[in-house]
Amino acid sequence: MSYITGPEYVRYACTCGLLKSLPNLYFCRHCSQLRCGFCVCPEVDSIFCGKCSENIPSAEAKVKKNKCANCLICPSCQQDLSTRIASKGVVNPDDSKSPAKKTYYLSCYFCGWNSRDVGIPDQTSPTGGWPERENVHSNRLQELLDSYKQIMLSQKQQKENDKKKKFGKFVSYTDRTGITASALRKRIGIPDIPHAMLRKPKLPESSTATTEVEELPDKFFTQEIDLLEVTTIEQRLLQPESQPVTVDKLFPAHKQLSIKKSLRCRHCERNVSKPEYNPNSIKFKIQLFAYYHIPEVRLVKVGDLKRGQPCEIIIKFTNPTQHQTTITILNLDLAEQERYVEEQQMMDISENLEVLSLQFKQPTSLPSLPGSQPSSLLSLPPRQPHLTIKSRKIKQTVNSTVEIPQSVFILPPRDDAAEYDDSNDTHNIEDDSNLVIWRKSNKVCIKLLVNIHEGETIGEEVFCGFTMDHVYTNIIAANFENKQPQKLNHKVRIFLNLGKM
Amino acid sequence: MPIYEPLTSEKVAVVLDIGSAFTKFGFTSEFAPRNIIRSQVRCKNTNTIRRLYDFQSAEDLYDLLVEFIHTIFFKYALISPKDRPVVIVESLLCPTLFRESLAKVLFLQYEVSSILVLPSHLVCLASLAVDTALVVDVGYKEAVVIPVGFGLPIVQTWQALPLGGEAIHKNIQVLFNNTSTGAQNLSEEVLEDIKVRCCFVTKKSRADQLALPRSDLIPVPDIKYSHRGSQTLTVNGKIREKAFEILYEEDNDHFCLSTMILDAMLLVDRDLRNILAENLVLTGGTCMTPGFKARLKEELLKQLSNDRYRKLNVKQFKFHSMPCKENYASWLGGALYGATEFLGMKSVTKEFYLKEKHLPDWINLKDVESARFGSDVTSARA
Ligand SMILES: [Zn+2]
Ligand SMILES: [Zn+2]
Ligand SMILES: [Zn+2]
Ligand SMILES: [Zn+2]
Repeated sequence: MSYITGPEYVRYACTCGLLKSLPNLYFCRHCSQLRCGFCVCPEVDSIFCGKCSENIPSAEAKVKKNKCANCLICPSCQQDLSTRIASKGVVNPDDSKSPAKKTYYLSCYFCGWNSRDVGIPDQTSPTGGWPERENVHSNRLQELLDSYKQIMLSQKQQKENDKKKKFGKFVSYTDRTGITASALRKRIGIPDIPHAMLRKPKLPESSTATTEVEELPDKFFTQEIDLLEVTTIEQRLLQPESQPVTVDKLFPAHKQLSIKKSLRCRHCERNVSKPEYNPNSIKFKIQLFAYYHIPEVRLVKVGDLKRGQPCEIIIKFTNPTQHQTTITILNLDLAEQERYVEEQQMMDISENLEVLSLQFKQPTSLPSLPGSQPSSLLSLPPRQPHLTIKSRKIKQTVNSTVEIPQSVFILPPRDDAAEYDDSNDTHNIEDDSNLVIWRKSNKVCIKLLVNIHEGETIGEEVFCGFTMDHVYTNIIAANFENKQPQKLNHKVRIFLNLGKM
Repeated sequence: MPIYEPLTSEKVAVVLDIGSAFTKFGFTSEFAPRNIIRSQVRCKNTNTIRRLYDFQSAEDLYDLLVEFIHTIFFKYALISPKDRPVVIVESLLCPTLFRESLAKVLFLQYEVSSILVLPSHLVCLASLAVDTALVVDVGYKEAVVIPVGFGLPIVQTWQALPLGGEAIHKNIQVLFNNTSTGAQNLSEEVLEDIKVRCCFVTKKSRADQLALPRSDLIPVPDIKYSHRGSQTLTVNGKIREKAFEILYEEDNDHFCLSTMILDAMLLVDRDLRNILAENLVLTGGTCMTPGFKARLKEELLKQLSNDRYRKLNVKQFKFHSMPCKENYASWLGGALYGATEFLGMKSVTKEFYLKEKHLPDWINLKDVESARFGSDVTSARA
């Protein structure tokens, strides 16, 4: 499993033009296209606390400022804090059977920080009541915010009124008769008070500047400083409001919540990955990883990389699906990909207009989905259709060419039982022995010849690439329309890093 | 299961102030950012930390921002960005490539519904409720001075110098090189940590003596700084006191932090000068250093005796005190503006962006019109 940590020797070109290793790709079965983290749309699926594993509804998370109400982290090292018990005498000293009086304090097992050091009194309940720090300026800021809201609201209303006046001439009774509202009020004996809405909002009091500034205390020139008493920038920024400068002002902070993320294909609006709701589960409800659908390519052996003579490489193909597939090795043809990207950019403007008109026509309704019914209601798009990510020109260049074999080869379906069975290994497949040098169950090794381009120098990394055409069996369409599984040819560009010359 | 918000709930907007060193993130209507994080991402290909402003090309910047905005929404904001409004607080001098790339990432990659772009020098005044002030922003890359008059930034008179955290870090390394401790090529994290925990802005009288080749000044105590676990580094008193002196060392053109401020005043209308001098507003993380304000005042008063500034006819300087920490003062302005109807009235919508393919520009006066929130306050007061 070297590809998990090691450098990526084999990379696949995603539909969007980025190169990724196979485990980093998704395969949308509805579009029959590769997708990657860059070209799918991520969404927040569920919110939970990583310490107490509690699911938090998004509305609650919003109120709690994305922090867990129960779990606290160390203000010094940001690890989880533990609640510790301290016994302090008994509840009722007169009664000999009285239970011990318990108090609780917070302590960090990693750095030794504890709530007593900063003078937070012990609590009588293990879960809480830990004092929260208030923003000392919140009253003033709230007052400001309220008046700003009012000012802007009255401005907005004034603007709307102005608009109405422009268009609504001769509509009002008073306008037509030439009597103003104010005159009318007087005539019928109502005191002339302007409408409450038109009243000028109250203005916040301005701050006043002073010539007095905070002087540098003289202790800076004489006092010895123990750095253990001074907070680091990370410790300060953990508490943006107070940003304490000394460690005795550090207060425990609530733990930041985490999310589970689902990923949506931007073309068909369906999920390519959706996790299970339970925070303890690492499984998925939907997981269209390319690893389960696209044959895996591994580099087995690379011969001598020398200019002027073909180099033999052996690569292994593994079929991860339950269906037999046929693989054809084709030219890389980067020019074709470039043309595709350019064509897309040409369509760019008209496409955007289309998106716009679609949004205006159906602001909340669902876009019509071509073809089959969606698999579940949950995978329906709740909102506007997605903008698609523009494909990019593939950046990787190659400095060697693969000699394209004349024949194709078959990859049998995956059979988990066959892994343990050595006897039945011949699938009665007639192979071109010039191409296929080994096969076993759903795996095949083939031999390719690579010619390094003229002008490459020793020490240079050699890259080659080819297009893999494989027959993909789509069972999704079959499920919905009671048809035979659809077979189609899917092409992927694959790049190999052969190492240094 | 995705949880849909009830239609009645007020849509709060994400407020972002992406600085060259730190990004302030939070929501409208709140009075402090939720998080202040470094403006950097981990590059998946090379597994190294890369700062956003170290981009190599437009596409590189786009990719860095895609990664960074992903972190903002999915690690901190915990909401799907699609169809959400976003408030961006940015410097009036923000490079066009950066603001356009950010807009492109937010609209095309994350499909936000609208972006409200606010100039940091203007909106940082919201928490003070003043509309005329001389705003001095000392951040990481540079110090930028822009006067604001009656709710409008007087952009033509801007002054900027590369005086900020980065210059101070470099200066600390230079000061170490001059000692015999052999502490060379310290990483920027260590230099930053030494700056934050050991250094301060000293008084002018001491600074003058420190600049002399010899003086009988009693040095401030040294600090033992443990470095890489076992090694101890001595941060001597001279380094602690001189780290910030770079702000007031005049360059070849006699420019430094204090002259910038006075030069900006020279460029505005005569009648406005005294009002600005009596409404100085300091923002940016560097301003939080102990002694910073006091020293700036001393330096400004000293410069007044200079022939160049005598004609200012300014006698005193007054400073505002922010109801927040200086490093998120601009962010707070964004959170206040974004909580009002201003958000709906002045945002750039996705529809507009898809048609125009760019954001309106600050420098374009017609566009600046849209930022006259401050002046609206003035007219209401009059
Ligand atoms: Zn992709
Ligand atoms: Zn918890
Ligand atoms: Zn700790
Ligand atoms: Zn799809």
